[in-house]
Amino acid sequence: MNIVVLVKPALDTSNLRTAANKIMVEDTPLKISDIDRNAAEEAIRIKEKMKGGKTIAVMVSKYPPTPKRGGEAENLAREVLAMGIDEAILVIDDGLIGTDQTATAKAITEVVRKKVGQFDLVIGGEATIDGYSSQVPARIAAELGIPIITYVREISQVGSDSVVVKRDLEDEVQVVKSKLPAVITVTREINTPRIPPLLQIRMAMKKPLSKVSLGDLGLQVERRARTTDLKPLQIQRKKVLIESGTVDEKADKLIQYLSQEGVVTPR
Amino acid sequence: MRVIGVFATPSTLEVMGLAQKLGGDALVFILNGGDEAAERAGRYGAGRVVLVDCGAMCDPAALYDAVAGELSGLTHLVFPATKDGKTIAGYVAGKLGVPNLVDVVDVLAPNKFSKYSMGSRGAEEVEVDGPVALVVQPKRFQPAEKPSKPAVERRRAAPIVELTGREEKAKGSLKIEDAELIVSVGRGFKKQEDLKLAMELAEVLGAQVGCSRPIAADLKWLSEDHWVGLSGHKVRPKMYMAIGISGQPQHIAGMLESRIVVAVNTDKNAPIFQYADYGVVEDLYKFIPVLKEKLRKALGK
Ligand SMILES: Cc1cc2nc3c(=O)[nH]c(=O)nc-3n(C[C@H](O)[C@H](O)[C@H](O)COP(=O)(O)OP(=O)(O)OC[C@H]3O[C@@H](n4cnc5c(N)ncnc54)[C@H](O)[C@@H]3O)c2cc1C
Repeated sequence: MNIVVLVKPALDTSNLRTAANKIMVEDTPLKISDIDRNAAEEAIRIKEKMKGGKTIAVMVSKYPPTPKRGGEAENLAREVLAMGIDEAILVIDDGLIGTDQTATAKAITEVVRKKVGQFDLVIGGEATIDGYSSQVPARIAAELGIPIITYVREISQVGSDSVVVKRDLEDEVQVVKSKLPAVITVTREINTPRIPPLLQIRMAMKKPLSKVSLGDLGLQVERRARTTDLKPLQIQRKKVLIESGTVDEKADKLIQYLSQEGVVTPR
Repeated sequence: MRVIGVFATPSTLEVMGLAQKLGGDALVFILNGGDEAAERAGRYGAGRVVLVDCGAMCDPAALYDAVAGELSGLTHLVFPATKDGKTIAGYVAGKLGVPNLVDVVDVLAPNKFSKYSMGSRGAEEVEVDGPVALVVQPKRFQPAEKPSKPAVERRRAAPIVELTGREEKAKGSLKIEDAELIVSVGRGFKKQEDLKLAMELAEVLGAQVGCSRPIAADLKWLSEDHWVGLSGHKVRPKMYMAIGISGQPQHIAGMLESRIVVAVNTDKNAPIFQYADYGVVEDLYKFIPVLKEKLRKALGK
């Protein structure tokens, strides 16, 4: 079974760099979007169970500056390769900077068509930490003309031509059966991603990792949405730390602050 | 003439508030709704209503095929920011090749919007050329009554995937978004029964109990109506007390607008202290019972 895993080199939202009330995208470090690790883990487990096939991570670099991001994304690719993914394909091109999910989905679709070929499943995360739009996997399904099943919390059965999964929705859990190939997205709760041992990290250096450009994919992208402003949402906090004294003293101090703030009104 | 396509279920019809704000004619696709929902769409000024029978589940691919003929010429498409709504939005926007903006918070011009960004840690303004799909929290733009007499049609969208079972989720009646005071619990609690400590404190304060994602989604110690954060509920109480919560950006995204934030954590370097007005470095198991007793006395309860 060949499985494509969507792995986003995402902006690390716990490390957003800001200056003069702007988010400085170019200075903010990248990390693997958290839930994409769950997607990778699930792909590896399915491959182990099905005893055969291949897992391929597809990554699309979206942030400037391209030369620096290339190296950063490569390191992130090595992380999923160390987990057990067989191969990584990174799409990196200045033409992708500042584009919306239309371009991301088209780039991934073309990688699947032109570089992967035969596949059974595409697995992504329910949402990324930076975009948090949950739009790319459904768009890939639309491009490829195959089913999309989102918010999968459990893959109950995988056969050679069908899957049965549990979708975790707001009010209910749905058990859904679909033909393959299909695109699915997984939730953070589906598994606990493995942390690769050192040996595997070293071995990952030898696994195939390729970089492709839009030209290689024969793709031209349009830019129909432009960000005109990007500000951090920040609220200044007092950051008073109560760390010394006994438990009793700390409680008294907190109650004193809370009454000063008008949160509690002692009699 | 601007024509806005709205996709909604009977429980998310309020997204029509965004169509009203954009102005123009609304073509409303109601998924698995009946005459009552069509009538309500009419009250919000729908020009035309298409009742789509999706069967057991709304499959985006089947839905798209059923309505594709209606979508050319639309200037805006509006979807609710529910899990199914976002999936359908991605699929439909993908088929149409139009950009989509998720978590729209305001309309600055018919082609310019502000939205949450960076996992709700940023605010972004985006300008688009041509048609655009907009995904919005159902209650973000409350629709006004402006009754119309829309033509109503029916369609079927038989799913290409098969629903073989469903389980209802435990549902509470809590509206954490409306709480004035919140005592919120995280993985710092070792066992489900230990949550009692926080519940007793909440009772003394007259507060509601919130929680981080793992407590609701992984461990299921509390129902999902308690879940605060990016993928849970956004709250803005007078006081938010985070107990045994580390303060990852996805949790912060849900409580950023609280007036006063208190954090209790054993780890002095926990990120939560950067987002707190008052931080107590202490073991919750020692601190919370003492705080509760002292508050009980102080408040005369
Ligand atoms: C796309 C996405 C969306 C997400 N959405 C959400 C969301 O909506 N809401 C959410 O909460 N999370 C969300 N998460 C998960 C989030 O990243 C964190 O994993 C989660 O918030 C951590 O929960 P926690 O703070 O309870 O647990 P932990 O991070 O494990 O923190 C536990 C804390 O308890 C402290 N502690 C331990 N023992 C004690 C003690 N005895 N006394 C006091 N303190 C103690 C520890 O020092 C630690 O700081 C999301 C993640 C992703 C990727």
